[in-house]
Amino acid sequence: MSLARSVRLIWWVTWFNVRMLLVSEFFVLLTFVSPLIFATLAFFLFRLGHSTGGQTLLYAALGSGMMGVWSTTLFGCGGAIAWQRWEGTLELLVNAPTRYDFILAGQAFGAVIFGFAGILMTIAWGMLLFGMPLTSTFPLLLPLSLFAAVVSLGALGMLIATSFVLYRHANALSNMLEYPIWLVAGLLVPIATLPAWVQPISWLLAPTWGMDAIRGATLQSQPPWFAIGMCFALAVVYYFLARVALRYVLHLARRDATLDLR
Amino acid sequence: MSAVTAPIALPSVNADPGSLRTAWRVFWRGGLMSYGMLFNWARPAIYIPTLIGGPTFQLLFFAALGSYAAGRSPAYFALGNAVQVSALSGIFGMTMAIANERFFSTLPAILATPANRVALFTGRFLPFIANGLFVSLYAIAFGVVFLGVRFEAPTLGVAGLALLVTVFSCTAIGALQGAISLRLRDGLFGANLLMLSFLLFSGVNIPVATLPAWMQVISNLLPFTHGLEAVRQAAAGAGLDRVGGLIAIEAGIGVAYAVAAFALFSYLERSARANATLDVR
Repeated sequence: MSLARSVRLIWWVTWFNVRMLLVSEFFVLLTFVSPLIFATLAFFLFRLGHSTGGQTLLYAALGSGMMGVWSTTLFGCGGAIAWQRWEGTLELLVNAPTRYDFILAGQAFGAVIFGFAGILMTIAWGMLLFGMPLTSTFPLLLPLSLFAAVVSLGALGMLIATSFVLYRHANALSNMLEYPIWLVAGLLVPIATLPAWVQPISWLLAPTWGMDAIRGATLQSQPPWFAIGMCFALAVVYYFLARVALRYVLHLARRDATLDLR
Repeated sequence: MSAVTAPIALPSVNADPGSLRTAWRVFWRGGLMSYGMLFNWARPAIYIPTLIGGPTFQLLFFAALGSYAAGRSPAYFALGNAVQVSALSGIFGMTMAIANERFFSTLPAILATPANRVALFTGRFLPFIANGLFVSLYAIAFGVVFLGVRFEAPTLGVAGLALLVTVFSCTAIGALQGAISLRLRDGLFGANLLMLSFLLFSGVNIPVATLPAWMQVISNLLPFTHGLEAVRQAAAGAGLDRVGGLIAIEAGIGVAYAVAAFALFSYLERSARANATLDVR
């Protein structure tokens, strides 16, 4: 498969998935409503602590938006293969001449890009209701930071999709894994305030570096090159792990004839 | 050629649908059956991650966020969230226990029976109240062990009463959400929205008095607001004479939601019969 055809396939699946998520009430809530509620909650909490500076509000808005991105990635990718199985499309997709891992990548990117729309909502919300200023210390680096975050979270989404399918109730895992990643990735609480043993865990998570890259370009005094680099490095690792997991899962499904088992 | 089959001998039914004994059976047995059959999460593979794992991490998250952002004790946030997590059972459970009748195609069969509707409806409350209490008690125990939540021993019973009433009133709004869900394509949208609203409006993380006035109006109409405040005050040593009013208001809110839920359920039943939409999904 040529590079152009691969990119085209991933792009079309991404776009198709974004449109599918747009008509899901659950994902609209997860991406657009839930981050606004968490952003409001964070604004009030910081106000209680007398931290009402523009930097603090932007910190909270970006963090709350990224919480929505993580939720959308988790739920959108966690059940991706299971949904294809229920809808009866998994057999067709796996046996199509196109590469299935590219289809899965498109699905993951669709969920992540859809989730990133929530960040725009929280920023607009903060500006309108709380008078939050919109500033960026490295505006030219911001698009690259966002791209790096999308790529790393997309690759993590692929890994989630291929590993969660081994657990019959993927949604239950997703229900459990929202809060711990919000916490460990330092989306609203700095990682430095958490116990020391938590910090190495946070280094392995794409949301940690994605958030660092975006905050680095908007709030920090140093350009976030290291965080951007970590995003891409982690994306490569996640992708290879996801491919190994996918090969194993598909091998099991073919061997046990469970590809279309609902 | 035709075959004549002998009529199937069915056991005679002696129960009078209008009797108190039958109503009790519908209330008790029906409630338990609805929990086991309609509550999708009532199996360990889902129950443990969702109703034990999720609340554990919720407590840790808000304890860390609250103490970092607001500079308050983690115990304040731990106790608020420990009470709020009962809504996982009260809201999602009750929504499933009512709305899943339609999705599992059992609604027409149930509504075709002459069973007492009050018993049928209220019987669903008990298992979810018990479940909500269990989840909350687990979360409170976690908060006591790891996050510094403390209760004054003399008023422990008052705190328990406030918790029980709060879980009831949360389950009642869950019943209303369940009844509304009979008409919706995705009933869990409203359930999720309620869960999030409690976090923001009900004093779980932010003291109600510090919210803007229009938000306080919503707070006073939602479950948890008064009950949780009663739990907090009782935990700090306030007796029934001081928190009795809060508990009574919470109970009143719960009863109001339960009555509204039953009225809506009855209305939807009549409407579905009239429009032949009982089994429309």
